[in-house]
Amino acid sequence: MNRTLNVARMQLVNKQTFVWVPALVLVGALAVTLAVYAILRSSGITGDTPFYGGGAQAPLWYFAVVGAQALTLTFPFSQAMSVSRREFFAGTLLIALATSAALALAFVAGGLVEEATGGWGMNGYFFKLDWLWTAGPVVAGLFYLALAMLFFIVGFAGATVYKRFGPVALTAVILGVLVILVAALWLVGALDAWQTVFGTIADAGPIGLTLAIAALVVVLAGVSFPVLRRATP
Amino acid sequence: MTVIDVTGLTKRYRDTLALDRVDLTFAENTIYGLLGRNGAGKTTLMSIITGQNLATSGDVRVYGQDPYENPAVLRRMCFVRESQKYPDDATPRHALRMARLFFPRWDQDLADDLVAQFRLPMTKTIKKLSRGQLSMVGVIIGLASRAELTFFDEPYLGLDATARQIFYDRLLEDYAEHPRTVVLSSHLIDEVANLIERVVLLDRGSVLLDEETDAVRDRATTVVGEAAAVDAFVAGREVLHREGLGRVASVTVFGALTAADRSTLRTAGLETSPVSLQQLVVRLTQQSADAPASSEGVPR
Repeated sequence: MNRTLNVARMQLVNKQTFVWVPALVLVGALAVTLAVYAILRSSGITGDTPFYGGGAQAPLWYFAVVGAQALTLTFPFSQAMSVSRREFFAGTLLIALATSAALALAFVAGGLVEEATGGWGMNGYFFKLDWLWTAGPVVAGLFYLALAMLFFIVGFAGATVYKRFGPVALTAVILGVLVILVAALWLVGALDAWQTVFGTIADAGPIGLTLAIAALVVVLAGVSFPVLRRATP
Repeated sequence: MTVIDVTGLTKRYRDTLALDRVDLTFAENTIYGLLGRNGAGKTTLMSIITGQNLATSGDVRVYGQDPYENPAVLRRMCFVRESQKYPDDATPRHALRMARLFFPRWDQDLADDLVAQFRLPMTKTIKKLSRGQLSMVGVIIGLASRAELTFFDEPYLGLDATARQIFYDRLLEDYAEHPRTVVLSSHLIDEVANLIERVVLLDRGSVLLDEETDAVRDRATTVVGEAAAVDAFVAGREVLHREGLGRVASVTVFGALTAADRSTLRTAGLETSPVSLQQLVVRLTQQSADAPASSEGVPR
């Protein structure tokens, strides 16, 4: 257990990857978004219609990159540090969970600020998506946590397949997933079931969606481990 | 005491046989030279012993246990490979801090000392280091880890002569105070000849030689003296190497000397001197290449 924690500490020795860059991406995206809102409001668009932006996604995409790099670069190094693959896996997911939790806290705090200030005083929202906050800030925070973990584990799982089986296998897996998605879209269209699908998603609400994402994270982590267990640096 | 026991170890990559039924043991508190040509299987062998790679078949025991995914055994070993990867944007300072977390016998003073002696820049990112500086990071981790089983994979790559000497000196110095098992893979055979106590020579995935360095040296003799007398003595023997300076010749011949040989040498006024381990290893490797090569033509 001690060595698993040390893997987590190892990932934090260089704070750039897990702390400073995600923080910078978040603050940068927020600043740009607020600047755009301000310009739009000053150019005469009235405050009746609220603004929403997708900039909050930026740190999430960075998490996918971090997940991939944790494997391609830190895994070979951890092997030289005589760390077992199991310790590496557990320690890395632990630090990913901690960073995702920090990000989720920042999102919730930002959402509360937006609520208190009426969208930074200009009815513009970066963190607080109305549908997500219907179940309250705690559920919204758990949703962000699960989503950040999902981005991380997708990058991590992809890199694990790449490391173990090579680029052709990774491409095949990505194509396979795309084919399944397209087939699912076609099936829904053919059955004329779009209303049912959207209805189900709406019914699930933020809580259901959070649980679904969390389940996906668990499945991807469960698939990554056996693949990693026989990977070589 | 045996600390590593390798039996019937085979590693096959798609179309190459990297290790072919290797049987080897490594003893406690000994410095081994793991020698062999490029592609002989040296790195593969060290990777499997340290649990970084998997065997196709065969068995590896380290302190009596399978090292693969076994933290109890892994923590007693250190193997920084020649082409070691480091976390993105890591500096040598980061790498050493991380190493300190994992090696229970880590010596920070030794690490600091080596950094100063090598003049390693600590705040440059590792991907911007020169080849020699990259090797220094691995050498420092290997030495300062004080791991009971330390593997060095061609640690001198890109190091200048001074830095190499520092490495050899510090290794011996630290080894004298803190004995451990060291496996050093190297192509600069004569440079490490005085360091290694035992030679393991791999060729095309098989063990060609596994002997005390002194015993290997006794397999050949260098005869020095007046050229005509030397020539008379070596006639009919297998000559490994010949050097001449004016009327003095120095010739290395294969085969151990008999008592009769020694008295012949004395009466002829000839002297013997230590043999270059490198020449011997080259000769032994070529012999093995020649042996099965009768059908495909002798390389040289």
